[in-house]
Amino acid sequence: MTMTRRTTHSVRRRRLLQALGIAGVSGLAGCVSTGGDDDTDLTGWGWNIAAQSLQDAAVQYNEENGTDISVDELGDDAWEQRFQTAITSGEGAPEFSPVQNYEVASFADLGGLTDLTDRIDEAEIRDDIIDGKWDTVNIDGNDYALPWDLGPTGVFYNRERYSEAGIDPDNIETWDDFIEAGASLPDDIAMLDLPTEEIPQLWRTLFRQLGGQSFTEDGDVNIASGESVRAAELIKDLDDAGITTRVEMWSGGWFTSFAEGDILSMISAAWMDGTLRAELPDTEGNWGVYKLPAFEEGGSRASNRGGSNLVIPSQIQDEEVVEEVWEFCLWSMTTPEVQNTMLEEYGLFPSLATAYDSSIYEEEQEFYDGQAVWELFAEVAEEIEPYRYTPDTPEVMNALETELNDMLDDEQSPEEAMENAAETVADRTDRDLA
Amino acid sequence: MREDTRNKALWKFGSYIFLLIVTALVTIPIYWMVVTATIPQSEFFSWPPRVIPGTYYFENLAALQENTNFIRSIGNSLIIAISYTILSLLLCSMAGFAFAKYEFRFKEPLFYFILATLILPIQLLIIPLFLLMVQFGWTNSFLAVILPWAANPLGIFLMRQNMRAIPDSLLESARMDGATEFQLYYKIALPTMIPSLAALAIILFLFQWQAFLYPLVILQEPEMYTIPLALADLVGAQRVYYDQIMVATSLAIIPIFVVFLTLQKYFIKGILAGSVKQ
Amino acid sequence: MTLGAIISKIQSSHSYKRASDQLRYKRQTIAEWLPTLPGLPYLYISPFFILFGIFLLFPTVYTLYLSFFTYLGVADGNLFEIQLGAVEIAIPRIANLEFAGLSNYERLLLRDSLFHRSMYNTAFIFFVQVPLMVILGMATALVLDAKFIRAKGLFRTLIALPVATGLVAYSTIFLLLFNDDIGLINYMLESVGATAIPWLTDGFWARITLVIAVTWRWLGYNMIIILAGLQTVPQQLYEAAEIDGASRWQKFRYVTLPQLRPVLLFVVVTSTIGTFQIFAEPYVITGGGPGNATITVVQYIYEQAFLQFNLGYASAASVILVTMVSILSILQIKYGGGED
Repeated sequence: MTMTRRTTHSVRRRRLLQALGIAGVSGLAGCVSTGGDDDTDLTGWGWNIAAQSLQDAAVQYNEENGTDISVDELGDDAWEQRFQTAITSGEGAPEFSPVQNYEVASFADLGGLTDLTDRIDEAEIRDDIIDGKWDTVNIDGNDYALPWDLGPTGVFYNRERYSEAGIDPDNIETWDDFIEAGASLPDDIAMLDLPTEEIPQLWRTLFRQLGGQSFTEDGDVNIASGESVRAAELIKDLDDAGITTRVEMWSGGWFTSFAEGDILSMISAAWMDGTLRAELPDTEGNWGVYKLPAFEEGGSRASNRGGSNLVIPSQIQDEEVVEEVWEFCLWSMTTPEVQNTMLEEYGLFPSLATAYDSSIYEEEQEFYDGQAVWELFAEVAEEIEPYRYTPDTPEVMNALETELNDMLDDEQSPEEAMENAAETVADRTDRDLA
Repeated sequence: MREDTRNKALWKFGSYIFLLIVTALVTIPIYWMVVTATIPQSEFFSWPPRVIPGTYYFENLAALQENTNFIRSIGNSLIIAISYTILSLLLCSMAGFAFAKYEFRFKEPLFYFILATLILPIQLLIIPLFLLMVQFGWTNSFLAVILPWAANPLGIFLMRQNMRAIPDSLLESARMDGATEFQLYYKIALPTMIPSLAALAIILFLFQWQAFLYPLVILQEPEMYTIPLALADLVGAQRVYYDQIMVATSLAIIPIFVVFLTLQKYFIKGILAGSVKQ
Repeated sequence: MTLGAIISKIQSSHSYKRASDQLRYKRQTIAEWLPTLPGLPYLYISPFFILFGIFLLFPTVYTLYLSFFTYLGVADGNLFEIQLGAVEIAIPRIANLEFAGLSNYERLLLRDSLFHRSMYNTAFIFFVQVPLMVILGMATALVLDAKFIRAKGLFRTLIALPVATGLVAYSTIFLLLFNDDIGLINYMLESVGATAIPWLTDGFWARITLVIAVTWRWLGYNMIIILAGLQTVPQQLYEAAEIDGASRWQKFRYVTLPQLRPVLLFVVVTSTIGTFQIFAEPYVITGGGPGNATITVVQYIYEQAFLQFNLGYASAASVILVTMVSILSILQIKYGGGED
């Protein structure tokens, strides 16, 4: 029998309320009891899609194992704020939760996450999950999360408009081809959207495509490297070519621009599928996807954007509870059928390579005019270069946003921009320059 | 004299124009909010923007209720905001009275200390406060949301500023008539302060009605969510339920409307003037 | 029978009188007992300070304490425990801390250019925002206080409504209104032949957008406060001024303004504090951008605390903020309030 933290709290709460003589005011004190029979209930938190897909998995798992696992669904900001507060204050965290790629290092660095290295070794799953993902959950040699989904990149494009303009996506093999194709378009039609907030994201996509690392293995700041400057140069080239527009991402106008064909392509990742289907159902059949153009012919055409992982907060100290949660996490993350359901229902692309054998990847999809996009993304996934995150990743993105914007305003060259960004990061994080 | 009436008319006209402009500027975004609540999500981004209400309000409302149990959230918000307002009004008016009309040791330092706490960013107080509530076992309780800011520095400050306007002579003569100190507070100070108390009540109610960050970490059970918490769950990185958010906002404004209209009548002239004449 | 009639009937009934007599008697005994206590003012302020002491003192002191440390991570075990009968209070040692002395302060004040940037941005908003808010709030309140205005209640309520709109809806609407390319405002500007304004993508205009957003949201709030303050101006002062043949401006200058001084001071001080605490607007409308042009102090503090988990550093920044704004407020109160 285990006693969860929540029941302990509710007992203590009741006692204190009684001591203060206000236990009778139940409306004010809220739900004093959390149910009674919840000795083994385990609760996870998650943001919308992550929570919904885990809820589905939990229903199946509970049925099969007689467990009582549930997942609370929160909005993005709500999850963020609540999970951060729980981890930093050392109290009140859920038994498990998804965490975005770039945040695993921060939470682990605080000592907020349980070290899962031994459990992962014991489960012998290292070869089942694609290589590119393990560095994300590994901090100083230990694994603090179980890899979940990733964001194999691709260029989503408007089939009708491409063919009207005589652009054949098969012929876009390099970024030069991409710029050239864009240059052939009329002035009021943009090849790509490049708003301010997208610029550092695009930099990271390109930087990872080139196999760059923001920090060396020794932790030195590495964003003035050759790969970094090349990525910055390409962003400048895209901007200079006059093939871009600046519509704020996720805004109404953004969606409308794609629906109306004012913007023809979007550099994004597999998870964009779900958004497009939900927001622009009328565009069915008019979408297609091709791999990122390479920097030079024959170069890598794979990168990653986004993705998440499952963690168990280190506050959960009861071994039995940890074990029970781990069993559920392991089952849901490494069972191909579960992962493929999450892909089909919620567009979460698994990092579990053994899942790619399923026939669903070969399915021709109406939404993409019969293209088998999952197969394309699976190919990309297996080519993703590993990438090390650190707690200082937000500093990198912040510095880059400023410097890249100055670069686009012609205030500095790409080299200068990357050197300035590196210096800012080094100064703000007390690290050395590589 | 004719010059004067024309001036007056011009003044009236100008005042109305000014008022209408301000009201229009302030109200247009709200009107648009309400319009967007009456159209389906798919038309939300249509161009040019919709300016005439649609007929989709109740469909959106049903979706909202199904998604968040919004009615429950309204109830929770009302319970919290009303109890908070009453409690805080009492505490603030008492303390404000003391700061405005009595001399005591450490009066100034205490007052400036209260003011300083008003400046502390709430974002940073949340972690220790959450920790404290966990220790009390008060997470997931309305009390934990109501109590910490019931001692509202802003409220004390407002009460102190307003109560300074009560003439000392008025209090003195009441004392001569044998009024006790406590009577001075509730028989003279409180009645003369009714417009300010009404204003403060509105402020406190609004503060609690909109509170987001702190209730978010304290109230973790969806059944206990207040309106802002329920709304936050409608915002995802890849999908935002604008239609439902706008419906919810249009509903969340109603209680504020009611509070305003109820407290309006206390914005009357001459309360203090009347008592001065005595 | 009207409600008023019912009430007066109840009030005239015998039992009501007896009950109210008893009540009055009780009140009197309490009242007689009260002033005999030494330090009556302390009694008035004590409920406030008790609540304050329980709930806000610890977080306040803890922030000050943290500002001298570097936050390394979470920790186990308790800092101290108190056993009070049935209630046990254990303050866990939540953080793994490393003493940093004044180095957080040194870095913030002397070397952290982003912090300086956030201070500059906030000060900019302050210098535009506070005068604008006070003048506009005052003008609106004065007009609404005029005797000849009809439908006052409606106007007041409409002007105050923005305060009631939740953050999510508020930010959505402002993003749609002020969007550079597809925003309603630029659409209107262009349709009358004016050039579109880069509301969100230019540093200067993005700050102006924040000022507009804040003004829109909080105007009604300040108007209500000033309006309430206007009600406490003794009417006979105006009557006396009128007898002396004072003009409209003279009445405003020599009666309204001096009488309203404490309330205006309140508006100035709280608006000052409010602008230095601006967080939601840059967070959701501009995201601090473009290129940190609108990052505010509290947003910077928030990012340090919750993105970088530099809690000690964020605390030190808060202490600096509190110190600066306190000095500013005290100066405002000392020199602007006509304190006796």
